[in-house]
Amino acid sequence: MKILVPTKRVPDTDQKIKVSSDGTGVQTNTLPFIINPFDAIALEEALRIQEGASDEVEVITVGIGNDEYEKELRAGLAMGADRAIHVSTDELLDPWNVSKVLKVIVEKEAPDLVLMGKQAVDDDSNQAGQFLAAQLDWPQATFISKIELADSKANVERETDLGIEKLSLNLPAVITADLRLNEPRYASLPNIMKAKKKPIDSIPLTDLGIEIEPKIEIISVEAPSSIRSCKKVETVDELLTLLRDEAKVL
Amino acid sequence: MTSADQSPVRGADVIIIGGGVAGLSTAWQLKKRGLSVLVIERQQLGNGSSGRAAGLLGQLRGTKAATKMLMDGLQVVYDLEKQTGLEIFVQTGSIRIAETEERSQEIRRLVDMGRSIRFPIVDLEIDKLQERLPYMKVDDIIDACFCPTDGHIQPAELVQAYVKAGRAEGVQYITNCRVEKILVEGGKGVGVQTAQGEFRADFIVNSTGPWSYYLADLSGTSLPTAAIGHYYLTTRPTDKVHVGKRSPAVRNRHHRIYSRPESGGLIVGMYEAEPDEYNIEDLPHDFDMSLMKAARDNYNVALLIHQAQQRFPWINERTPMTITSGIMTFTPDGKPFCGKLPDVEGLYHCAGFSGHGIVQSPAIGTIMSDLITRGETEYNISEIEADRYFELPELRDRVEVKARCADMYGRYYGQIEGQSS
Repeated sequence: MKILVPTKRVPDTDQKIKVSSDGTGVQTNTLPFIINPFDAIALEEALRIQEGASDEVEVITVGIGNDEYEKELRAGLAMGADRAIHVSTDELLDPWNVSKVLKVIVEKEAPDLVLMGKQAVDDDSNQAGQFLAAQLDWPQATFISKIELADSKANVERETDLGIEKLSLNLPAVITADLRLNEPRYASLPNIMKAKKKPIDSIPLTDLGIEIEPKIEIISVEAPSSIRSCKKVETVDELLTLLRDEAKVL
Repeated sequence: MTSADQSPVRGADVIIIGGGVAGLSTAWQLKKRGLSVLVIERQQLGNGSSGRAAGLLGQLRGTKAATKMLMDGLQVVYDLEKQTGLEIFVQTGSIRIAETEERSQEIRRLVDMGRSIRFPIVDLEIDKLQERLPYMKVDDIIDACFCPTDGHIQPAELVQAYVKAGRAEGVQYITNCRVEKILVEGGKGVGVQTAQGEFRADFIVNSTGPWSYYLADLSGTSLPTAAIGHYYLTTRPTDKVHVGKRSPAVRNRHHRIYSRPESGGLIVGMYEAEPDEYNIEDLPHDFDMSLMKAARDNYNVALLIHQAQQRFPWINERTPMTITSGIMTFTPDGKPFCGKLPDVEGLYHCAGFSGHGIVQSPAIGTIMSDLITRGETEYNISEIEADRYFELPELRDRVEVKARCADMYGRYYGQIEGQSS
């Protein structure tokens, strides 16, 4: 069995985020980069499937980005992935184009399962997994908090506002991970050493034979205002009046 | 908040730079002696190393002076608890263990020293160890001692208590205000230049932890401290392992680790041989230590987990846990710098606690205010005097200082205490 885990290199959004001077993104020069936390959860789940399986399972991670991505791909290998594929490009791709790239990699690798984060914490798009499943015409399950594989099927649970939804999918399929699926591990000492020798297959984006067609244009990025005018009210009636007349939300 | 917080005074008898435990303790003690005190903090009080500390209080140190300081400090903490109603100190007792003959001799020397100054110590039978610490591997331990009055100080509560007690006395605190420079006129520190303008004072205290050498540099003097990275893990309680609140702290120098209970889980930290080193001058001005995060494949974290597993075999890289990453301020001999340097009058340094700032701070506040108000103290401070390296030109070279401080960090658990090195 083969599991493909697409990962995205994102700035650590727990840090202080500042808008870049040209107003089209965030300042990334002082921000540390990490594997998108939901993708780390997806990778952890793939590793647990590998460890629990009676048959051999290969776990491959894929990353799209510039040369600096190697560091985060090595981190994935140190967690336990068998090998990594690096689609190298300096371009920032939107989710549609990410899914086009992943489709080519899936067709090349023919995995039984694509396991990825439900969304990346930098753009919060929550689209790449869905687009990929649609392009491949594969079954998909999103926001998954539990996975069991048996007889070429994936039995999964997804948390919805109405309760836990249980689904059964035929493999191959695309499954996206939610926060409660697991807690990712740290790399062990021997695995950090082993990761140094594991292969990262680097492919230039331009060699994939696809046309990048941007679907999203970023017009401007603004930081939320930190100035908040707060007012203390004495009575509930006063609050209701303000909400009705000033805020106009009632 | 006092009204002065809204309209900050433009000066005081004493300006304390840095609102970590060293500065907060000193501020409180000085105000009690009648001086007006202004604490200026770059971010929030207790947001730097103080807020990231594990806070282990092990009073049995290599020298009588150091042990006495910690024993007295504990009395200060008890007073603070009474005054503020906060639970600061958690008395768990602490255990030192030895796997080798050398480490056993080290324990015996410490026990002899401790008993000579009536510090309570209990010899511990090895089979009693397992009873006290059911979650620890004990079959390779050949010697142990138990210090029942040890435990840990809860860093957040200590910060809160200093501020509560300080405010009650009338200490002024300015937060989110970066000190850019110490103003020196005619060889005397006279004030500070900040993002919010100048503030003047007769005495200035540099208690900026990892920033202490940088601030000293900017003021035309030199302090041989260095910023060294440190990690500890905190496990979450599970059905299998629940660590009781009063479970003793453990010092396992052979494996370079220490442990203590935390919220039903276990804190394990490590003094690795090759720590991370930081250049404070290269960090952004708004660098926030509380946002530091270790990568999933951080080598020193992997090493920490590996070493923790040697003593607590149920811990591995998959254990649900949090990794705390922070910066300590080390000195070439692992002891802080407290007091003046000969080249700048009126400027006092109080930094370089080398992983012991939380537990040393209660007594240090007294010592610093002794030095500032009277120029002397009853404590034996020969080991912690700020000018002890002043005559050594090699300790004005950053590269050399960093190397010696990192080496000291590595030897802190690596060497055998009480043996001439």
